[in-house]
Formats: sequence, structure tokens, C-alpha cells
Amino acid sequence: MTGNSKSAAIEVNDLVTHYGSREILHGINLTVHAGEIMIIMGGSGSGKSTLLRYLLGLGIPTSGSIKLLGKDITRISNLEMNQLRQNMGVAFQGGALLSSMTIGENVQLPLREHTRLDEKTMEIMARMKLEVVNLGGFEKLMPAELSGGMTKRAAVARAIIMDPKLMFFDEPSAGLDPVVSAELDELILNLRDAMKMTIVVVTHELESAFKIADRITVLDQGNILMTDTVENIKHSDNERIQSLLNRRPSNDEVQADEYLNRLTGI
Amino acid sequence: MNINILEGEGYTIIGLEGDVDLSCSPDARKSILDVLQAEKNLLIDLGKVSYIDSSGVASLVEGYQTAKKQTLKFGLVGVSDAAMSVLKLARLDKVFPIHNSVEEYEQEDA
Amino acid sequence: MPESSSHPVINTLELVGRSTVKLIEEAGYYVALLIESLYWIIAGPFIKRPVRIHSIFAQMMTMGIAACPIVFVLSFSIGVMLAIQMIYNLKTFGAESQVVVGVALSITREFGPLITGILIAGRTGSSLAAKIGTMQVNQEIDALRVMGINPVRYLVSPALLAMMIMVPVLTFFSDLAGLLGGAVYTGIEIGLSFDAYIERTLSALVVADVMQGLFKSLIFALIITLVGVSNGFSVTGGAEGVGKATTRSVVLSISYIVIADMIFTYFLNL
Repeated sequence: MTGNSKSAAIEVNDLVTHYGSREILHGINLTVHAGEIMIIMGGSGSGKSTLLRYLLGLGIPTSGSIKLLGKDITRISNLEMNQLRQNMGVAFQGGALLSSMTIGENVQLPLREHTRLDEKTMEIMARMKLEVVNLGGFEKLMPAELSGGMTKRAAVARAIIMDPKLMFFDEPSAGLDPVVSAELDELILNLRDAMKMTIVVVTHELESAFKIADRITVLDQGNILMTDTVENIKHSDNERIQSLLNRRPSNDEVQADEYLNRLTGI
Repeated sequence: MNINILEGEGYTIIGLEGDVDLSCSPDARKSILDVLQAEKNLLIDLGKVSYIDSSGVASLVEGYQTAKKQTLKFGLVGVSDAAMSVLKLARLDKVFPIHNSVEEYEQEDA
Repeated sequence: MPESSSHPVINTLELVGRSTVKLIEEAGYYVALLIESLYWIIAGPFIKRPVRIHSIFAQMMTMGIAACPIVFVLSFSIGVMLAIQMIYNLKTFGAESQVVVGVALSITREFGPLITGILIAGRTGSSLAAKIGTMQVNQEIDALRVMGINPVRYLVSPALLAMMIMVPVLTFFSDLAGLLGGAVYTGIEIGLSFDAYIERTLSALVVADVMQGLFKSLIFALIITLVGVSNGFSVTGGAEGVGKATTRSVVLSISYIVIADMIFTYFLNL
């Protein structure tokens, strides 16, 4: 990587968050370099989805800072946040297409809201993005008429319509068959290479993570266990990382007294 | 972004320079459609384009379609690497007539 | 809560207390939501983030025009019912002919707005809660937010504006249907001609009677929209959650409508 692309696209410092009175993330520190594909990995309940929500500015953290493209989203004004959002694309797990609109209208939605481009230009842009995700000719369909994999790809088309610099994927391969999932991995790599995007992928699928990641962050119970390259993660001697990689159930030491208290509800 | 318009023998060259993004692609689009409106063959020089986003590419697509309808010649010349990777992503490198240089276009045309 | 399980009475009291706090919290949320929607309606066009006109009209069609037949049927029936009851009551005093005044005042001041409000709460309030709840579950609301589209401006403001226009319009329509019902029954029962009925109605009613009803209907429109929308936004737990929110929004908005009706009627008639 050249000097310039080494700059940080995302910088998270000492992020602490609560859900109700329960602390979910216990001081997360994470840096994502511009132009890299960072995978956030962890089992369910590890806090990876929570971390993503906060990266997207969908929650107000208890403490800490989150800098996206140099701007601390915990401190900037709504107007600045709105401008920043035009440089961010998000592909949600279930697609989250608006069910009342056609695929084409869904993909054009950010353009209509944020730009004053010519109608024709917006239509061509939307069709181009649908071509990129291999959904050419589907713009007239309603979201309910698409399969799971197609919905996810349409959501990617909508996320990249404004040519964002930052792209987030939530569980891109969950619920997809291996072929479709491999196609989506390919697409993620293409987006980074052609459009120089910085990409954050939250997933628990090891195979796709190893295939596309530049670096991987492993989360466990609200803490970051390790952030490193694929090779180093694979060869890590951390027990929990190994059990995650080898799909072994984690065997926590039983704290007899505490366990008894939990069972009896005291 | 800068737009330079050059008149050649039987064609017009529009040279785009710098970043072609949402803020200026409407200008590029207008220049392209104006030339075609005047029934002139059009070459677009993308040699000095440092970045082109999809609204810029969309303007090129619309221009090409318009030129085809009016049976005018349309081509891209000296496409920069930055522009090429974006065209490739949407597989448009297979669609547009692309020439390395204006001279090459003239030879092919002759 | 292990420590509070001491006494059933205390438990009940605690439950009542918690529910009250929750309702008050919700009331605060309604007010915040109202202020934000109004902000977008008024200030949106100036900061190039206008409320979608298209969506306002689409919603006015579905929540207003499409509700006309059912509003007509119910209001007409209420008109007939009122005429029956009043003629029966007034017979005792031999004053059947006063039925016109009774029906006219009851319909315009009370039954028109109330029946329309209850109907729209069941019809539109529930569909708002279900629609927004489903969007919440499918992460569509999150998607709007990350695209930089404010969900309140995009979803709530158009609905609020459409409701504030259509509920009073429907109420006026309901007044007419109710009066027609009264006229038809009175004509059959005591042989009062339609022309005479209209004439007496017009002389019995003052503008303030109708305005009072329309003013209340405007309040009902606010209640239905805010309760429906906020229940939709607070959905958690998938499809079951959507169902719960829908039911809750209907029950709550009808309750609030009836209570608000009582309060406003008291103050408007001081």
C-alpha cells in the first residue's frame, strides 16, 4: 500500500455502549485504513452487530469517539452527518428495500433525495448499478418478487448508487447458497478495486471472511480479541479465536457459586 | 472539472479534466448533448480524468445512445486508468467505441 | 424483581405506577414527534428537504377518499338511531317535532367527529402502526436513516398532514350523512318533509356547532397519527411485535379520542 492509502478511513476510540443498563461494548479501539477490506467477526452475542450500528451512527454511545473519514460522528451536527451519509453505503442483512417501491425506485431513492440530477441520468445510473450487481432488467419488479440473494444484491446497488467512499455489509452471505455467496464476495472485491472503497464487512462466515479480508477483527463478549491479517489470525494461539475458527463450542470454566446463584435466581 | 471543446475535421472533441462527479456531471452532460444536438460527430477525451463517478458515466451512456439514434459517430479517446476501472465495473468497456488517441480514430475512420 | 415480590397490593401499585410512568413517557414522545413533523412540514421546503407532496396525496386518497363509503354507512345509521331515540323520548312531552334540533346538534357537535375518529383509528391508525412497524422490523427505517433520509420527514409528516386535512373533511361528510339519516327516519316516522327538515336544521345550527366538531376532529387526527406512528416505531420482536403494536395503537387511540372528546367538549362549552 502507498503512503496515502494508509490513512485511516475509520477510527474508533474507547467506544463504550449500553443497551438499557447493560454494557455491550467495553471500550473498543479499531482503525480501518482507507481502501482496505476489514472483516468484523465474532459469534452471536459478541457485539459485532452492535458495533456496526454505532459505526453507522444509529446509536449514541455512552463514551468514546467514532471518526468516519476524519469526522467524529458522535460530535458533528445533523447537517454534517447528513453530508457524511452521502459518502456511506450500507447493505443490510435482509436488504431493507422499501417494499412500497420498485427495485429501480429503491436504487434511485438516495439520488432523488440528495441530488438535482436529470431524470434520465438517474435512471441510467440506477440501471448501471443494477448491472454491476447482475440484476440488469429487474428495475420494474417489486422487492417482494425477488429471492433472498437478489434482494441482497439490489440492496448493494442502492448502497453504491452515490459512489460512496465507505461501504458497510451486514452478514452478506447469511442465508445464501455457496455459489451466490461467492458471487457476492467477488462483488465486494470488485467494488474495492474499481471504486477504491473502504469496506467493512460484519460476518460470521469464515470462508468468505478469509477470502476477501485484508484484516480481520475478532470480537468476543464486547471486547476486541485481536485485529490482524488473515494469516496472523489463523495462526493465533488465542483459545477463543481458535474455537471460533474451528467451530468448537467454547467451554467456559464453571464458577460453581455464581452458577448456583444464577440457577436459583439470587 | 474543466471542459475543453475542440473542433476537428468532421468531429468535435470534448476534453474532460479532473474529477467528474455529482456536482459537475450535469455540465458535462449538457456539453455532450449540445454537440450532438448540432449534429456533429463526438469524441470525448478522458485522458485527464482523475476520477469519474457513475453520474459522469451515465452522461456518457446517454450521449452514446443519443448519437446512435442520430447516426452520429461517438467515441472515447485516451481513457485514463481511473476512468477505465469504473467503465469496466459496469462492463461498459465492451460497449463504448474506445480509441487510444485522436490519430487512431482518424485512421480507423478513414 | 426479587426484592419487590413482598406483597400483592404493593405489586399492583408498582405495576400501576410503572404503566403510568410509561404512558407519560409516551405522551412526551408524542409531543416530540408532533414538533418534529411540524418542523419538517414548515421548514423542510426552505432547507431543500421538503415533505413529499406525492406521498401526501397518495395517503389522502387511501385514508380519506377510500373511507367515504364506510363513513357514510355508519354516520347514516347513527343519524337514524338518534332520530329513533329522540322521537321516543320527546313523545313523552309531545314535542316530537323538536327531534330536528336534537339530531342536528348531537351529530355536528358529537357523533360526527367521534364516529369518524373511531373509524379512522381502526382503519388508518392501525395501518400506520403496521406499516411503520413492519419497516422497523425489516430495518427499512435504519436504511432510511443511513441514506440520510429522516424517517419522520419521510413517513410521519406526510401522514400527519394528510390526516389533518382528511379527518375534518370526513367529519364534515359524516355530519351530512348523519343529518340525512335523521331526515329520512323523521320523514317516515312523523311525516316531516325533507325540505322542512333541512330548513329547520339550518335554523337550529350555528356555525360554531359545526366548527366545534371539526376542531375536535383535528385533535383526533393528531392523536390517531401520533399514537399509530409511535407504536410503529417502537416495535421490537418481529411479526408478533407488529401485531401487538397494531392492536395497542387502536385501543390507545380510541381511548385517547374518547377522553380528549370529553375534555374538549367540557372546555368548549364553558
